[in-house]
Amino acid sequence: MLQTAKYLLILLCLCTGNKAFSQCCTSGNPFISDAEQPALQSRILTASLNYRYSHSGKYYSEDSRFTELPFQEIAYSNYTELQVGYGITNWLTALTDIGYFVNKTLQTPGVDSYKGYGIGDLGLYAKFNAYSNSRLRLTISPTVGVKFPVGVFDQELENVQLPISVQPSAGSYRYLANLFISKGFGKVALAGFASYEYSQLIESENFYYKYGDQWVAALYFNYRPWKRFTIDLQVRNEYRTKSTRENDDIIESSGYDVVFFTPQVTYAFKHDWYLSAYGDIPLHKYCNGIQLSFGYAVSVRVTKKIDFIALMARKKSAGPNGSETK
Amino acid sequence: MIVLTGLALLSACSKKDNTAPSSQIRIDSITASVNPVVAYDTSVITVYATGVNLQYGWVVNHGKIKGSGTTVKYSACQSCRGLNTITCRVFNETGEVSDTIMVRVTPWHSK
Repeated sequence: MLQTAKYLLILLCLCTGNKAFSQCCTSGNPFISDAEQPALQSRILTASLNYRYSHSGKYYSEDSRFTELPFQEIAYSNYTELQVGYGITNWLTALTDIGYFVNKTLQTPGVDSYKGYGIGDLGLYAKFNAYSNSRLRLTISPTVGVKFPVGVFDQELENVQLPISVQPSAGSYRYLANLFISKGFGKVALAGFASYEYSQLIESENFYYKYGDQWVAALYFNYRPWKRFTIDLQVRNEYRTKSTRENDDIIESSGYDVVFFTPQVTYAFKHDWYLSAYGDIPLHKYCNGIQLSFGYAVSVRVTKKIDFIALMARKKSAGPNGSETK
Repeated sequence: MIVLTGLALLSACSKKDNTAPSSQIRIDSITASVNPVVAYDTSVITVYATGVNLQYGWVVNHGKIKGSGTTVKYSACQSCRGLNTITCRVFNETGEVSDTIMVRVTPWHSK
């Protein structure tokens, strides 16, 4: 299995070559692409702080680089996200996340840039432990959730409204459902993830726009070479249908089909602290019409896990004066 | 969680100052230097208004506006094809008035 992992890694690295691009600007929180986790056990809390930098600067027409435009454009963002998950019961986990854009910038060299910033969307999700067999190391966890457009939208700078692509919030509700299946084999685990997201119509003071539906499918390969160190390799396909505007007119230059490779490393520190680093590298891109395409993204995440049952058991076993009872 | 939600809702609430209609401001016209405009090209949009201590705000439903004041540049990408609305808001301490201009964006093609 280790040999297979090595070959898979080498193959994926060869495939990526020097194609390092970044994610294009869309309104709202970006898709956080780290390795998906199964539902939490009862009374376990996890809190994560994520930082992500994404960058894109290449136009694509269908699956080819488009270089005929007489100007250059760069889109980049610095984004942080706080995620909290709590195992209410062994079969139900509540999750929430909220994003903040330090900047979401669209820049044409030599010209002033457009810079949006502020709170993005607030997500609330229910994750179910539909099936879990510790002997087989098999888990099936479906999730349903809503993203609320609580953040900044219709943002203006010096009384001039910023383009929709740099608005921090999505401007409309988004509903999602996904399924995560994981199976362990010794030091290795394989997992699959499928997700669907429906975006409601944005009908704000200034915009009338509906993003297309998004489908995400991912395969994860998880390997733990040492006790505290984990490697995740992910191949992910993101597909979005075309957007629509006033009178249900379809926007031909919208929607995409992109395959990403996302390598991730995680180190488990003492006292249930975890540090992860990962990156998104597009392996294949198809953009309808002409669009600023996806580029690369790099992320760092710090996670703290608290097991309240273990914590209480430890307190109970400690004497009234704090000493350990025997 | 409650704190986060409160913060988020608070930041979502933003209001413009004095948006009451004003009889002391008049927009005479809004012009576009190029209309229709080809995607990725620009059109200069100018507003002519009368009033005292005027300030100007610009909004477009598809595309981008660069600059501020009485004259701005409008540009749109391929995804903004169609008939788009640029709204100019002219305001001062007495209130505001607004008017629109429609600009058609046509597809970009190789030259």
